[in-house]
Amino acid sequence: MGIHSPLVIDDRERGLFRVHRSAFTSEEILALEREKIFSKAWLYIGHESELPKPNDFVTRRVGGRPVIFTRDRARKIRVLLNTCRHRGAEVCRLPSGNSKVFTCFYHGWAYDGTGRLVSVPDGGAYSESFDRGQLGLYQPRVESYRDFVFATFSDEAPALVDYLADARYFLDIIADQSANGMEIVAGTHYYSMNANWKLLMENSVDGYHALTVHQTYFEMMMNLGSTPPGVDGNRAIGRGIDLGNGHAVAMNPELGSPLMSPEILEEKQRWRASLAERFGEEHAYLIANVTRNMDIFPNFAIVDLGFGIQVRTMYPTAPGHTEIVGWQLVPGDASVAHKRYRLDNSLTFWGPAGMATPDDVEGLEQCQRGFAVKEVEWSDISRGMGRDTPPIVDELQMRVFWREWNARLTGESYQREGLPHDSSYLQAPSVNAGAASGKAK
Amino acid sequence: MTDVQQEQATVARADVEDFLYHEAALLDEWRLEEWLDLFTEDAVYEIPATDLPGHVESDASRTYALVYDRRTLLEQRVIRLKKPTAHAEFPNSRTRRLLTNVRILGAAGNEVMVSANFIVFRGRNGRDVFYVGRYEYVLRRSSDGLKIRHRKAVLDQEALDPHGKISIIL
Repeated sequence: MGIHSPLVIDDRERGLFRVHRSAFTSEEILALEREKIFSKAWLYIGHESELPKPNDFVTRRVGGRPVIFTRDRARKIRVLLNTCRHRGAEVCRLPSGNSKVFTCFYHGWAYDGTGRLVSVPDGGAYSESFDRGQLGLYQPRVESYRDFVFATFSDEAPALVDYLADARYFLDIIADQSANGMEIVAGTHYYSMNANWKLLMENSVDGYHALTVHQTYFEMMMNLGSTPPGVDGNRAIGRGIDLGNGHAVAMNPELGSPLMSPEILEEKQRWRASLAERFGEEHAYLIANVTRNMDIFPNFAIVDLGFGIQVRTMYPTAPGHTEIVGWQLVPGDASVAHKRYRLDNSLTFWGPAGMATPDDVEGLEQCQRGFAVKEVEWSDISRGMGRDTPPIVDELQMRVFWREWNARLTGESYQREGLPHDSSYLQAPSVNAGAASGKAK
Repeated sequence: MTDVQQEQATVARADVEDFLYHEAALLDEWRLEEWLDLFTEDAVYEIPATDLPGHVESDASRTYALVYDRRTLLEQRVIRLKKPTAHAEFPNSRTRRLLTNVRILGAAGNEVMVSANFIVFRGRNGRDVFYVGRYEYVLRRSSDGLKIRHRKAVLDQEALDPHGKISIIL
């Protein structure tokens, strides 16, 4: 078949942006994505709060590879690829736990929490060239920003802070929400969709779909006495921003809280006052009165709607099938009642059994079904193209993703669209201090 | 029977089975308002996260569950599911619930603890999926029969794959 060229039409003059639908259906393109994106980019592994104690570990699949995400006895965060250097078996078969050693059950080779090969049964039979020091568990490059841990399988990737570009600021806005660190809550949403993974990256920052796909959710909010913004007909609110390197965010005014009580309202006001004290009014406003849907290229999304923070990764097992993992991030210093309020709202919205996410999955699966029509070759992502300050119902956020995607697959360069994000805040002393202490871990 | 006699009467497994089969039929027939009438005012419907299946003793509302509906939300869930704009369930799925291994685990006051195994079939858009797991019920005896005070569905699947979602009442 060959790969269609072009895959993306980016016509600045006419204000048209189109993606060839083979991007969602082609096995060859998926193979290329694995080679040029998932083997090269920084991929989200997990959050440091998932490993509170030395020797804690969780296993998961990242970029298609089985990994052990662990904190060694010296409290250093490590990512160990979960394959024995002998014959390949996974050396850790538990989803999570605490262990000083990972022993392959096949022939008994054992590795410590730093990945070092510490035991080979009947090891005397090997030649002098057999170097145990070279046979530790394979460790990709790992870097962390404000407790968000990433790894890359590439030596050529830039440092994580440079890769994250202006997305750093929005990770700061998340990380600054607690004085003693943010926490991933126990309980993970493992689900899937019969649709291409990139449709969920689009959907995670798509302000245009909210009122149609989630009409019943907004009606539920109104039934419970809360009026979400945008339902009055003015949908051109908020702001889509290019954060560089394929990352983008859609910022929006507060969504409101469907499940609220006077006690929680009071606590949230106290929380906001403490944020203003720590960071100043402007930063407190961005944290507490603005929501954000952020994509970090290639497959990591964080959605902070005020009533909860959904952390999500997705990975393709086939062009039309995607594995999805969803976590909930909460401020560690919030009260039990505040955390419960966040969980109630979050699982009601984002859960694969919630009142919003199933309709997203349905929408993306419907798109994938529609791609069977080969007579229609292109999807249109032109909305608001060329505007300096696009509202969230425009599609700048998706174009940012697709330009980076296209550049990585085809080698074609691209120019960014719209005004660059003002990154002067990165020099602001309060924010910078927080970032530095986070990185020092 | 007086109220006191009613309170003291034990519940036979056959009565519990009749109740659960009736509930399953209401759900399979999408008679959701009638289904809602089976619940007490202080009811909870929950589905724990699939990586915390043994999370029986602790407070599930402190974990990121799949569902944790108190009565107010349960009502909203039913309202939503009856609308054509509940896209994941329009048109409605075909469902068929098989309940087996019904056991009465204990009783306390006017409440009885029940467990049952389930397979729930969902068919829609040319795809069939099966949810497999265990129900845990707390049923309350009242003057108008049994009511559901707590209904927990614990899935045996490690991931909602290929299901993608639980857009039906499980």
